[in-house]
Amino acid sequence: MNKTDLLKRYEDMKEEARQSIQARQEKSLVLIGTATCGLAAGAMQVKEDFIREIETKGLEAEVIEVGCIGHCYAEPLAIIAKPGYPAVCYGNLDEGLVHRLVEDFLAGDDPSYEYAMAALDRNDEFPTFEDFPRGVYEEKMILEHCGLTDFKKIESYIANGGYEALAKALSEDPGFVLEEVKEANLRGRGGAGFPAGKKWEACLNNGENEKYVICNGDEGDPGAFMDRSVLESDPHLVIEGMILCAYAVGSHQGYLYIRAEYPRAVEHVREAIKQAREKGLLGSSILGTDFSFDLEVFQGSGAFICGEATALVNSMEGKMGMPESRPPRLVEQGFRGKPTVLNNVKTFAYVPLIISRGADWFKSTGTSESPGTAVFSLVGKINNTGLVEVPMGTTLRQLIEEVGDGLPNGREFKAVQIGGPSGGCLPESSLDVPIDFDSLHEAGAIMGSGGLVVMDQDDCMVSVARYFLEFTQHESCGKCTFCRLGTKHMLDILTDITRGEGDLETLELLKELSEDVRDGSLCNLGRTAPNPVLTTLRYFYDEYRAHVEEGRCPALVCRDLILYYIKPPKCSKLCNVCVGSCPTEAIYTREDGLKAIDQDKCVKCDNCRKACPDEYDAVIKLSPPELPAEKERKAK
Amino acid sequence: MSEEITITIDDGEIKTHHGEKILWAALENDIYIPHLCAIKKETRPNASCRLCFVEIEGHERPVTSCTREVEEGMVVKTRSPRLDRLVKTGFELLLSDHNLNCRECPANRNCALQVIAKKRGFKLKRDRIKPIEREFELDDSPAEFAFDRSRCVLCGQCIWADRVEAEVGAIGFSNRGLKRVVTTFNDLPLADSICTECKLCVDVCPVGALYYKKDQKA
Amino acid sequence: MLQLKEGEKEEILACVKEVLGENSKTHENLIPVLQQVQKKLGYLPVLAMEKIAEGLDVPAADVFGLATFYNQFRLNPPGKHEVKVCLGTACYMTGGDITLESFERRMEIKESETSPDRHYSLERVACVGCCSLAPVVVVDDQVEGKVTPTRVDGIMLELEADRDGPAGEESGPKEGGNSEQD
Ligand SMILES: Cc1cc2nc3c(=O)[nH]c(=O)nc-3n(C[C@H](O)[C@H](O)[C@H](O)COP(=O)(O)O)c2cc1C
Ligand code: SF4
Ligand code: SF4
Ligand code: SF4
Ligand code: SF4
Ligand code: FES
Ligand code: FES
Ligand code: FES
Repeated sequence: MNKTDLLKRYEDMKEEARQSIQARQEKSLVLIGTATCGLAAGAMQVKEDFIREIETKGLEAEVIEVGCIGHCYAEPLAIIAKPGYPAVCYGNLDEGLVHRLVEDFLAGDDPSYEYAMAALDRNDEFPTFEDFPRGVYEEKMILEHCGLTDFKKIESYIANGGYEALAKALSEDPGFVLEEVKEANLRGRGGAGFPAGKKWEACLNNGENEKYVICNGDEGDPGAFMDRSVLESDPHLVIEGMILCAYAVGSHQGYLYIRAEYPRAVEHVREAIKQAREKGLLGSSILGTDFSFDLEVFQGSGAFICGEATALVNSMEGKMGMPESRPPRLVEQGFRGKPTVLNNVKTFAYVPLIISRGADWFKSTGTSESPGTAVFSLVGKINNTGLVEVPMGTTLRQLIEEVGDGLPNGREFKAVQIGGPSGGCLPESSLDVPIDFDSLHEAGAIMGSGGLVVMDQDDCMVSVARYFLEFTQHESCGKCTFCRLGTKHMLDILTDITRGEGDLETLELLKELSEDVRDGSLCNLGRTAPNPVLTTLRYFYDEYRAHVEEGRCPALVCRDLILYYIKPPKCSKLCNVCVGSCPTEAIYTREDGLKAIDQDKCVKCDNCRKACPDEYDAVIKLSPPELPAEKERKAK
Repeated sequence: MSEEITITIDDGEIKTHHGEKILWAALENDIYIPHLCAIKKETRPNASCRLCFVEIEGHERPVTSCTREVEEGMVVKTRSPRLDRLVKTGFELLLSDHNLNCRECPANRNCALQVIAKKRGFKLKRDRIKPIEREFELDDSPAEFAFDRSRCVLCGQCIWADRVEAEVGAIGFSNRGLKRVVTTFNDLPLADSICTECKLCVDVCPVGALYYKKDQKA
Repeated sequence: MLQLKEGEKEEILACVKEVLGENSKTHENLIPVLQQVQKKLGYLPVLAMEKIAEGLDVPAADVFGLATFYNQFRLNPPGKHEVKVCLGTACYMTGGDITLESFERRMEIKESETSPDRHYSLERVACVGCCSLAPVVVVDDQVEGKVTPTRVDGIMLELEADRDGPAGEESGPKEGGNSEQD
């Protein structure tokens, strides 16, 4: 098939898709964010409410499920696109608001801007997301269509220019794709930032025969969900990226390894694969050329370690997901012993954009060593939790203060944890570090999977380090000595510290063990597991000291080092709320009517402190765990 | 065999051949490197015990010698403060999860851990790193041998013997992380499993985990 | 070991046979086969593992190794109601561990256990992907966000209400939750 025919075939397909989408856009559309977090916040109920209200009013409007809109803090979310108006996004929807929007906007002509978050298209009535500080810093590449496109219909993807890159690539030699990806200096988004082009080239040069392309969608970082969002909300982007890679390296079979906990991602990707096959974009003779490539989904079975490249391959081969020492690398001997390219979901998602818009376009964003964007899931003590995409090189401060809109209720920033269990905790003084692979690495953290947790004065660094270590220790495959046993001892020591046990020597031992586990472990799980410990020791050493030397947890978190106390002058005497909230009946009324806590019964569940009405705020935590009376006695 | 290669280990030149791993090249030339899990015939070693570290000139990080093939002109060191520290910690970690009761152990004076301790001057004691307290049930169901998991260092030698030499497949690893053990299907006693009691696994166990009942101390 | 009830053996054999029939019999298919069998039976009975090992010509010890390696597989039947408490980063920081402890106290079991009457299973998971609603628990596949201690009580009430009759197969709910105190 010649080049013109091929491009024509694609253009026809696109035109057809555009028409079917356009027909749809003549009506009003209600897009509901039904990614996992939307569902949890009640998106399905909102969807039903819309459908019911629209039916009762007999309106011509269609309700469509879309993926992650990115403003998770305001779920459930919907976007209303009514012809003649800018598309507008509304948050925190409930039955009442749905009723109102249908009545006033869909049936009437009032977009109810007082309830809107922002408009999506530029207009002269209402600001768009770009007009907020967040919008100034955000730049969407791979999340461009997330939450705006109907993931159930391949036409939505094609009408937006999807699969154009594929048509373009197939009209050139495979070398074209490889050159563009190399030229773009696309670095792997799964953690380490290895240049994708180099990896592909190595695979290409490893013989002619059987080769595999695998997408790593195991996303196990316990606080990150970017890959899930992309797979759920825009699956074709990843699929197209994989086909392009296969074309570049000469592979005919690929797999998407998706973790068991993401059933919706599996479902959406399977449906997308089916539709792509029907359109001749996947399978044999793609777009009528002699290039063939097919894809299948492999579901992980819930082991964090399977995100590691060699463990992932072992698990696909029906074995325990245990890492192997390298070399050989996967590009030499991977799945079934054949050369294999493994890349992260996001890495593949950039490829169609690079091919259709060019390497220079890609490089015009970000820094020279880390071009493009970075995707983060912001969580913790931050106003705008959710997914964000910013150019590489944005500073942590901009990301937290501007994009994330800072910490809630004037809380004070203390630390930011980047890169999940293999990442590190950075203090205030590191906030001006630009976000790119190399700068973060130098500061002691890693880009990792893109989980970013903001912490304030109420978060204990020892306990945070312990949390991450508990996670890695629990997820260690157990193969090698340092990780299997070393992380266990590190965890035990950290647990002791949170109980106020140990001394400065204990801290020294913890540091030495951390370094040896880092240097001695077989795979990167063990090698990076000490990062949260090493960075907190480095930046928050005083906090460790307070635990072991004074038996005090400065953040009032470690439960063995605190006690709950009801401040007599603050207690209202009459409200009794705390008494009812206590699961162990530890709170009693003293003879003078004040409430007090029987320390022997208290299990430190925090219920009473939460229950005590704000105007009294009488329940407090004390550390070290000494009642004021005892303290006085001791002082005497 | 295949082409000859010369490498330098600890300032002495040795001759070996293409495709050989540093560990075996060294051992054959009477240069000791601690090791527990390496199996000469295995092409893709497990590299799980992490005791065979060496430094190779031009490599930033210590490398496991059981996995790395020799290359002409390679310069290898088996001792350095950094290596010694790493190996010592690895060894102490293994001891922390080992039933350290040599006097009662059937492998006393015939134990790889004792050899490593002697060669490297490590103590067979646990002071820096506390022991992990846990209990295992003794499996003395086979007629002539027994399996005491509290001494197992998870080197995998027995599994190799069972799979490759005996071609039975009675034992394997199970569980993950700290819970990892060598066991039979559904944790059955060996005598109730498909084990043929060929005892090849007993012969390769470097410590006193799989042992002959006749060697048992009273 | 768990004693199989009347008819269970046949059910297991039929299920394994069906799943094996739908997959090509290669070692590579071991995980998908285990997943499909567990989906149907709720867990992986010993008998099923044995038959799968035979069917795929894999040492049974390896099937057992695999089933005990991955979090997803369970060797015992789950409780009627499954509560998973998220202990991902965001949930942990907003008190997920305290939520887990509340459930443990109320159900009188520890995480990854099933109550003796098989009414509850309690598990921990790491991030279900809706961190902005932390702390999150998943009750019988329904995600619940912003779970306060009072909500734990509410969930427990709902689950307690769902017991078939006062007596019968399952023993009735035990009263009170503070037995371990004092
Ligand atoms: C313990 C561990 C877990 C990992 N988990 C993931 C994961 O969930 N997703 C991912 O893409 N990469 C993960 N990686 C990194 C992969 O090993 C591999 O480097 C990556 O998938 C390569 O893709 P990239 O070059 O596109 O980043 C993990 C690595 C380790 C050591
Ligand atoms: S470092 Fe940990 S996860 Fe990696 S191989 Fe060793 S034990 Fe397994
Ligand atoms: S912290 Fe919990 S157990 Fe302690 S007094 Fe308050 S409500 Fe009772
Ligand atoms: S004695 Fe049993 S377990 Fe050991 S190698 Fe022989 S068959 Fe395998
Ligand atoms: S039983 Fe012996 S041979 Fe087998 S893994 Fe344990 S220590 Fe190694
Ligand atoms: S907006 Fe909720 S999942 Fe992203
Ligand atoms: S002998 Fe090399 S790691 Fe065990
Ligand atoms: S941490 Fe609990 S949902 Fe993400």
